[in-house]
Amino acid sequence: MKFPSIFRWPLALALTSGVAVSCAGLLNQSQPGGFTAIGLPAKGGSVAPKAAPAAKVVTFNKDIAPIIYSNCSSCHRAGEVAPFPLLSYDDAKKRAKQIAIVTESHVMPPWKADEGKEKFADAHQLSMDEIAKIRQWTDAGAPEGAKADLPPAPKFAQGWQNGEPDAIFQATEAYNLAAEGDDVYRCYVIPTNYTEDRYVSAMEVRPGNHAVVHHVIAYLDTSGKAREKDAADPGPGYTSFGGIGVTPAGSLGGWAPGLVPRLADAGEGILLPKGADIVLQVHYHKSGKPETDLTKIGVYFAKGPVDKRIRSMMVINPLIRIPAGDANYTTTATRKVRDDITVLSITPHMHLLGKDMQISAALPDGSEKKLVHVNDWDFNWQMIYGLKQPMKLPAGTQVNLTARYDNSTDNPLNPTTPPRTVTWGEQTTDEMCIAFLFYTVDSEHLTKGEVAETMPGGGGGGILGGLSPGLRQMAMKLFDKDGDGKLNEEERQTALAWWRDHGAAIPATPPQ
Amino acid sequence: MFDFKSKASRQLLVLGALTFNVWGIAHGAPLTLKTTVTDISGKTQRLPTPGQKATVLVFIAHDCPISNAYAPEISRIVADYAKRGVRFLVAYAESDFNVVGARKHARAYGFQVPIILDSKFRLSHAAGATVTPEVAILAPDGHNLYRGRIDNRFVSYGKKRAQPSQRDLRDALDAIVAGRPVPHPTTTAIGCFIPE
Repeated sequence: MKFPSIFRWPLALALTSGVAVSCAGLLNQSQPGGFTAIGLPAKGGSVAPKAAPAAKVVTFNKDIAPIIYSNCSSCHRAGEVAPFPLLSYDDAKKRAKQIAIVTESHVMPPWKADEGKEKFADAHQLSMDEIAKIRQWTDAGAPEGAKADLPPAPKFAQGWQNGEPDAIFQATEAYNLAAEGDDVYRCYVIPTNYTEDRYVSAMEVRPGNHAVVHHVIAYLDTSGKAREKDAADPGPGYTSFGGIGVTPAGSLGGWAPGLVPRLADAGEGILLPKGADIVLQVHYHKSGKPETDLTKIGVYFAKGPVDKRIRSMMVINPLIRIPAGDANYTTTATRKVRDDITVLSITPHMHLLGKDMQISAALPDGSEKKLVHVNDWDFNWQMIYGLKQPMKLPAGTQVNLTARYDNSTDNPLNPTTPPRTVTWGEQTTDEMCIAFLFYTVDSEHLTKGEVAETMPGGGGGGILGGLSPGLRQMAMKLFDKDGDGKLNEEERQTALAWWRDHGAAIPATPPQ
Repeated sequence: MFDFKSKASRQLLVLGALTFNVWGIAHGAPLTLKTTVTDISGKTQRLPTPGQKATVLVFIAHDCPISNAYAPEISRIVADYAKRGVRFLVAYAESDFNVVGARKHARAYGFQVPIILDSKFRLSHAAGATVTPEVAILAPDGHNLYRGRIDNRFVSYGKKRAQPSQRDLRDALDAIVAGRPVPHPTTTAIGCFIPE
């Protein structure tokens, strides 16, 4: 089977559509545990535990090591993001009780969708059987077992996972972070200085300081406005929660703990426009002591001709209005697919109040395909769900999204006490409702000069993309000042500003 | 007089049971936590510290991110209560740590209190601490006044509040300093498990 490329789940290209939404933890690249990327079986295939005798003793060497090696060690090793290694019996024995508890509660491995390995690339989801084995092992005192049973330790590439990149970008100096306080979103503006458009096959992030780097998104700016913001803010880069504060021209992808990058399939790539600046947004958690970070990214260009651009679209509802105290606010969004497309990956995005998001496709023939259902939304794990089998959606398919939020006092993650009405916005105390779909257009053949028409709003559907026809019509009345049936940049900015200023309040009557 | 006596003896019984439970049953350790330890600078520390209203043991682990994230709050609490008759000690509850590492870590995270290596978990087990960070407050006679979390910022693993809504250690110390009973003598701490 062909493994999906890294850009089967690339990121934030969506932002080309222009909504400065962001904070979209649009994480590019694979989910944790891409052993496959480096030549090992994704599923501890090297060891096949034999059928258990009745009173079998669960041991590390025989039963637990295969589970840990193939699901935990890619992050839990020196130099990677996890706070301690899980590479040996001693490592695991020391944490046995913790491992049992976090696997039973599904905190680890971090996988929030209701479907796993059968559908999504690199899903790290333990089976009930595996979780039960860990519990048995822990309760039995974490025995080591026979040496002969121990499978070979997993091998990981050190440093760049795809070898030396074609280009490496980083900020000009390290950033100093305080010991504690709110999270920081710092944007570093890095010129590329390329004089021609290029296609990117993969981008790899090497966080400078794993103790504080939570996730990274590489946006693109061709307006020069990010440079202005950088110049106006002392120190390297500038601070901007959520988005980068300017309308990005695209994105090269992103990184979150455990994501391992892979090259795109031959013939596919993400556009890096000539002269673009990379705006590297790093989301920092504070660690308890002062820290410094200098994160870098490696870019791998497409090696052959690119026939299809990896594009993105958003299914979005910017008109959310979550009443204070509502523990189960439910909202929807929908979006019609104009061309025959192939969906590579899906990234749901909400903030702290989100608890559930389901995305499915209603095909013109009346059938329905489930894309992804995140039934345990966690703002800290903004996953990219890369489809093992890319999903064909014919023109006319309706992509539907249903999202639920908890804005009650019983939600300990509610950032506002007492709760207030929450609407669309970029702050952590605001909310969002977006699903990004990454796809290629089946009819596109760049090598033959056949370029797919960009969907309205620059491929993202614009800020009205997810609205129902009625709301869209009303919004058009409000913001389409020149009456051409489209929102130009100025009108779009006005609409966005209105949404920011008014939250997502739906006016009973349009303003005069 | 009679009444007082019987009430006092009842209290003593209750206290004895509580003390036994906290210090004894939890880990089969000795009842008393009157002991001496040597800190990483070689000084002998008496527990509880004589002449103090309370002695606080703060159990941490150098590679536990939850425990590390609390370092600034621990230092603030030390600053706020040291001048009110409370003595603090930080104990690294981990078997494979050493003096050099502890010194380096304590300096990096700003701990300005005596540092103890609890490598054999003698203190943490005696105090009933099961995770890091977790704290135990000793009365001048060595019995336990509070054991549990610093505050409720962490809801569970990976989930934390923007701000804690219960600051249990501070509440306990406020009560002790004011001569009142501690409102919640035990709470459940979220953190990295201390080996049993």
